[in-house]
Formats: sequence, C-alpha cells, structure tokens
Amino acid sequence: MMNRVLTNVLAVIASLLMGLLGSSGAKAQDLTVCLWGTITGPDASVNGMTYGMRDYFEFLNRFQGGILGTNVRTVLLDGRYRLDEELKNYRRCVDQEKAVLVSGWSTGATKALRDQISSDKVPFMSQSFASDALDPQQFPYIFIAGATYEQQIMIALRDLKARGGKRVVFMFADNEFGRAPIANVQKLKQIEELGLELVDSIEFKFDGQDFTGQVLRAKQANADMIYLQSSAGPTLAILRDAAKIGLKTDLFISNFYNLISSIPAQLGPAAEGFRAVQLYANWGDDVPAMKDILSYSRAQPVDKKDIYFMKGWMEGIAAAEAIRRTMAANGGKVPADLAAFRIDVRDALAGIKELDAGGIVPSLNFSKNQGSIQARISQVMQGIFVSQGPWIDAGK
Amino acid sequence: MRKRQIFLLALLFAVLAIASCFWLDRFQLLLVQSVATAGVAALALHVLTGMAGQISFSHAGLIGIGAYAGGILGNAGGDILSLVGAGVAGAVAAALIGWPALRLRGLYFAMATLAAQFLLEYLFKHLEPITHGASGLLVRPLTIFGYPLASDRSVALLSIVLLLMSWLVCSAIAGSHLGRCFIVVRESEIVARGMGINVARTKLAAFVISGSLAGIAGAVFAFASRLAHPETFSLSMSIDYVAMIIVGGLGSAGGALLGAGFVTIAPESLQRVGEALNLSDRVFAIREIVFGALIILFLIFEPSGLRAIVHRLGSRGLQFSREMSSKIKRRKLVR
Repeated sequence: MMNRVLTNVLAVIASLLMGLLGSSGAKAQDLTVCLWGTITGPDASVNGMTYGMRDYFEFLNRFQGGILGTNVRTVLLDGRYRLDEELKNYRRCVDQEKAVLVSGWSTGATKALRDQISSDKVPFMSQSFASDALDPQQFPYIFIAGATYEQQIMIALRDLKARGGKRVVFMFADNEFGRAPIANVQKLKQIEELGLELVDSIEFKFDGQDFTGQVLRAKQANADMIYLQSSAGPTLAILRDAAKIGLKTDLFISNFYNLISSIPAQLGPAAEGFRAVQLYANWGDDVPAMKDILSYSRAQPVDKKDIYFMKGWMEGIAAAEAIRRTMAANGGKVPADLAAFRIDVRDALAGIKELDAGGIVPSLNFSKNQGSIQARISQVMQGIFVSQGPWIDAGK
Repeated sequence: MRKRQIFLLALLFAVLAIASCFWLDRFQLLLVQSVATAGVAALALHVLTGMAGQISFSHAGLIGIGAYAGGILGNAGGDILSLVGAGVAGAVAAALIGWPALRLRGLYFAMATLAAQFLLEYLFKHLEPITHGASGLLVRPLTIFGYPLASDRSVALLSIVLLLMSWLVCSAIAGSHLGRCFIVVRESEIVARGMGINVARTKLAAFVISGSLAGIAGAVFAFASRLAHPETFSLSMSIDYVAMIIVGGLGSAGGALLGAGFVTIAPESLQRVGEALNLSDRVFAIREIVFGALIILFLIFEPSGLRAIVHRLGSRGLQFSREMSSKIKRRKLVR
C-alpha cells in the first residue's frame, strides 16, 4: 500500500518538476537581478549580505516604484557553499532568469566562473574579498564591494605600528580563505616594510573544535598582535581557548567576517577587547540608510539585523544606481537588447564615483571594480562591537 | 533483459539525450552534464558496492584524483589523453588504497576507505606544487583531437557519451566471469573461497575498475567546472554517492543512474516547487529536510529503490495501454 502511495507521489512530483525545471517565465524585457548566497551551509552566519541586496531592490519596488517606474524582479538562490551548486545558480541566473546583474558568493565559485562571466559579459558582484577575484583588466565584469583580505590585514598591521607594537603572529584557516591572503602579504614583504616582525604563522583546521595547541604556540611567541584570518565559527573557539590559557583577547584582531554579535554574546567577558576590521556601518548606526532600512523592515520584517545586511544594502544601492543610469540613457526604459543592457550596466557600475551610499560607507567608488576601501577598527566593549576612530583608506 | 536489448535501450537513450542537447538552454545543459557525470561516478560506485558488496567512503577522493589528474594533463595539452590519464590515475589510487584495505571486511573496510578519504583530502590541500593547495587548480577547457570543448553543449555531449560507455562497460562486466565473481564475493566470501575465487584479487579488481570510472568522472567534473578545488571532493560528496546507489536501487546499474538523477535533480526541483508556491525564502532549509525525509521513506518503504518504482510504473503503463487497446478492440467489435 505504502509502496503504491510512494510511487504515485513520486510520479506526480516528477512530472510536475520536469515542467518546472524547463522554464522560469523570465522574459528578456524584465528587469531581473539574481542573487545567491550561503542560505544553508557553513558560512550562513554572514548571509545577510545576500538578503540585504535583495531587500534593497524590494525596498525600491515598495517605496519608490522600482527603478524609474520599472519593478525589479529579484531571484534569491541558495549556493550552499558548494561549487557545483554555485555554478548551477550562475547558469540559471544568466540563461533562465535573464538577469541584468548577478550577485554571487564564494571565492572558489568566482574563480571558477571568471572566464564564463567574461564571455557572458554579465556584471557580477562577488561577496568574496579575495584579491584573486579582482582584476579589472582581465575580468572587467567582476566587482567586489570592499577592501580585500590583504588590505584588511594591512589595516591591522598599520594599527599595530601606530600603537608601537612590533611582533606579529598570523593564525589562519587551512583553506583558501585562510591561506591565500596570508601568503600574499608575506610574499609582498609588507610586514618588513612597516618595520614589524612576523614571529609565527599558525595554521589551523577550519572545522576544528579545539585550538588549545595553536593558542599555546601563539602565547609562546609573545606577540603584540595576533591576526586571525578566520570566520566566526573557528574564531569563537580560538577566543574561548585563548581565555582558557590566559592569552589576552585584546591581542587578537580579525577580518570583517568576525564582526558578528554572537562572538560577544556567546563568549561574554572572554570576548572583551577582541577587534575586527570594519568596512561598513553597523546595523543601527545613525546613518541615513538606516532610516530606509527601518521603513522597509516595518513593512517587511528583516531577519538579518547585522553589518552583513548593511553591506548587501550598500551593494544594492550601487547596483540600482548603475541600472538607473543605464535606463536613463535609454529614455527611462529597460533596453530591449539584454546583452547590450548588461554591458552598459557594467560600464555604469565601473563609472560610479563619490556615490552617496546612505552613510554605510563614506563614499562609493567602483572605478577599480572594488567599491569603497575605507575601513576602521571595531572592538568588543561591554558586550558589543564599538567602532574605534575615523574611517581610514585601506589602499594607502 | 537480453544483452542486445540493453545495448539498444542504452543507444536509444544516448541518441535521445544527445538530440535533446541541441534544443536545451545552457542551464538545462548544465543539469544534463551534472546528471551524466554523476551517473558515471555512481556507476563506478555501483561496481564496487552494488556488484562486489564493498562499502566505500573514499569515492569523492577518487573523483578528486581524476579531477586533478585530468586538469593537470589537460592544462599541459594532453588532449583526449587527459581523460585516459584521469582514469589511470583513479585506478592507481584505488589500487593503492585497496591493496591494504581489501584485507578487511564490512565495516572495517568502510572505515579504511574513510581514512583514505581524509588522507586524499589532506593531500589535495597540502600538495601545493601539484594541486595548487587550498586555492585549487584552474583547468583549461578540454580539447579532443585539437578541438576545444569550451561550450556547455560540447561538455554535456561528452558526458553523455562517457555515461553510455560506462554503462556498457558495467553491463559487460555484469555478464562476464568477473562480474559473477563480484556477486559471489558480495553474497558470501566464504562461499567464494570455496568456489576457488581469489577474494582479495576480485575485490581489488572491483576497486580498480571503480577507481578508473570515478577518475574519468572527476576529469569531466573538472573540465566542466574549470576548477579542481579540494573542498569539493569532501566526505559529504562520498556520502551523496552512497545515497545515490541506495536510493536508485542497490545492485543495479539502472538504479545507480536513477539515483544519480534523483540526487542531482531533486534539490533543484524542490527549490522550484517552493518558488512556484511563493515560498522561496523558506524552502531552502525545508529542501534539505524534505530531501532527507524522502531518502528515509525510500529506505523504509522501498528498499529496492527508484528502480523498483520505475519498474512498477512501467508495468502499470504497459497494463494501461493493454487495457486501452483491448477496450478499443472491443468497441470496434461491438460496432
């Protein structure tokens, strides 16, 4: 009996799905933006970036009648932090959804897709900060929205120098995200140029559970600063283990992906003094964009109330501006030729200079396909991240 | 089914699949290629697990070996030899893993393959001069006799042809003396020994054939994705393949192919259903739960897998068409 039910259910589902997979209903004249992020997967804690960008377009639809009167169709997909899934999403966005702009996720997928992106001529906003993903000459359609991991490390190193410190330890995850930026900084001899000394480089397993051995080694190095090239999961465990052995938390500084409220929330006093490089305004900061976000969130609840959502919102501002400029040049209408529309949006995005991003970043400039490279340092104080000092240029 | 019928069916399937490639869009071509490549890798595991009864968790590692070998050879201008080389590399790696591991049985063997999987993952990450470490190996498009297979269509066509060839190889093995030895070893190693079968050598042969097909699948994966990345060939991929052959129907090549199709397409299909119901935001997490629940339902209510369901649907269809034709005949007689 159950076998028959299972058979019938599967037969119905299969026939339904074969039809569904065939078409998305997208037409070339639609104004579609397609995005994917890790909605379910290992780095889902920062997926506010994808939701933020999607929600900015939904905000435009709801409060401003879309872009120049045309509603933006947004397609949100889950990349699951899997290469095969991300490649599939890209193909769907470009060919089935006929998106004018695509927002992707990981460094690996961006690298795997870069030739396809160039040949498809689709403006592509990557959530990666890897310098490998950024090459405006060779890959003019790929954009990233902030300081690279290497530039974030440099911000921390310059801060150390300004404080009179000298001895640096790198702790980094055993994957591309962990290794590549550290190797690049070492290769360029930037530590020596600043007059600092790299006393140890400690690799750890990205999915490790106990880092006592690594923090003991870092303690022995007697460092003035320990830079963590890591994401929130391992960082939590490393700070926990550092507190266990009495290694001071304020020695640790990390990249943008560790500005996550669960670090002070879960570690309590053990997180006090921990610092991370901040690239965007925090959720709740007194900036004009926050008013729009709050208006939107009253109409449509926002789940991801964090700095990553702010990043996505800012990317939405830039992407929408590029689309608006392209449409304005076409008499306010969506160009009929999707291929030409994509090329023009890419050019418009690369032409963005000194754009007001609602205070999320000081000003927005995509001329080098990189967005704003202003950064500041944020520190855990009394259980929350507090921005320290003014914005500084990470490129200098 | 007779061999000739199987061959004709496979040929018909391949011709239809190849013909369909000329009207599919690029996303659909990518799905076809993904299913076909997963099909080759699932058939590889079918030889080892379905036919010879050895559970392996190092399948992703072997696919990874093929991806790196194919990518390196392809980047060096290896042309079609890069596919052959990937198969050879997969076979050699399987032999190296299999030689010590095949002295073990059942769960102990599975644990040994699990260890091999972790070892291979470590090597992919740390053998930087060969694998480019954590950043992965960028792979140029495959060339076949100097003709570059840069388009999605050409890669999809290649994967269908390779799937057809793998299916024929599996069918040939199933009907051969070696295939029968595999089945005897699967059913009882004691009986196999009693029948004079060299059990260790037979298991090693299954592992080597499986490794070779997995290597070829890995190369196609690398040429399609243009990247061989260590995080791709993880344990979760090995588990996906075990799920494929179980869901499809353990012990049958057709089942392995159905399982490959199901595991590759089902998450995407569930996503589309969610979108059609305007629940795209919520469906992401539900998708995994539904997918997991479907697998549990299979294990409980249909252990013979999709193969049995397809068989039943086929018989029901035949029965329906017979009933319809007899009704039509009866009506004609009445008139």
